[in-house]
Amino acid sequence: MAAIEVQPAAHADHDAHGHGAGRNENLKFAWWLYLASEVVIFTTLIGSYVVYAFNNYEVVKEVHEASGVFLVALNTFLLLASSWAMVMGLRSIQMGNQKGLITWISVTAVIGALFVGLQGVEYTILSNEGVTLYHTDGVLSEFGARFYAPTAFHGLHVIIGVFWAIYIILRARAGKYSKTNYIGIEVFGLYWHFVDVVWIFLFTFIYLI
Amino acid sequence: MSDMTTAAEHAHDIAQAAASHEAHDGHEDTLLPTSRLFGIELPVPLYTAVFGLLAILTIIEVIIAELPDGGLGVTLLVVLSSLKACLVVWYYMHLRSDNKLYALALIIPLFLGVIATIFLIAVPMTGYGY
Repeated sequence: MAAIEVQPAAHADHDAHGHGAGRNENLKFAWWLYLASEVVIFTTLIGSYVVYAFNNYEVVKEVHEASGVFLVALNTFLLLASSWAMVMGLRSIQMGNQKGLITWISVTAVIGALFVGLQGVEYTILSNEGVTLYHTDGVLSEFGARFYAPTAFHGLHVIIGVFWAIYIILRARAGKYSKTNYIGIEVFGLYWHFVDVVWIFLFTFIYLI
Repeated sequence: MSDMTTAAEHAHDIAQAAASHEAHDGHEDTLLPTSRLFGIELPVPLYTAVFGLLAILTIIEVIIAELPDGGLGVTLLVVLSSLKACLVVWYYMHLRSDNKLYALALIIPLFLGVIATIFLIAVPMTGYGY
């Protein structure tokens, strides 16, 4: 009887660490390929801005002086902190700490939402300074288009990430994750950290240089 | 006494997680309460140490950006931002323990994008006048 009980358990263990591990690797690989497509989009957007800035340095300098760097530096710090909270959530579930996972992912979601809110404040300030997508005569602003396209597209990614974090929290509350099953959190982490990496470059190329 | 029991349970959980099959994918040191980053022993978990380094690098970036203009500043900013991105990819996205081929998904499109951007910068805004 004991042997009958052991065999299925051993089989399940083999499945979890054999086929399951292979499935997880495939899932991560697929997700990295998706991120490759995101790299193409963001590199194009940032490259377009860099080419414009290289040829119109005075315009960029004028905008930098008008906007200042404090708010966006604070936002950068917040996004880095959200990435830290994200991995701390993963670390919690790897140690079997469900409550820790929920707490850290909640912090990630809150900071992400704060980032989006502060980006809205920054857009309002820039708009008041005359940095808009369109000029008053309805003509598309060359600077505005190149500035708002990458930053707003990035902001959209953060918004999606916040909703994804909420979804993770709901699943965690339902006990869907454990220290042997956290691939869903790892994949979300890949997305969230990628969004962070994109911002690291956006911050440098658009706001600092 | 109950605190001690909780601490002991916590330590047991860490040890168990580290010993579990899933933790053998290279994440063991991230579960420890202390860390070693670039040869320096730190009294915080690895992820926290990396966050601290990222925050310091960001502060340095902002200081450099506020200094008077200069080509060296631009180079430094690009180097620092690349270093920050590498830290996030290496530690937070677990590339240091995952399959290194995943890095190609970032490197190949990034390389092509950078090359294309450099070529476009070389094109005069007024065109070649053909």
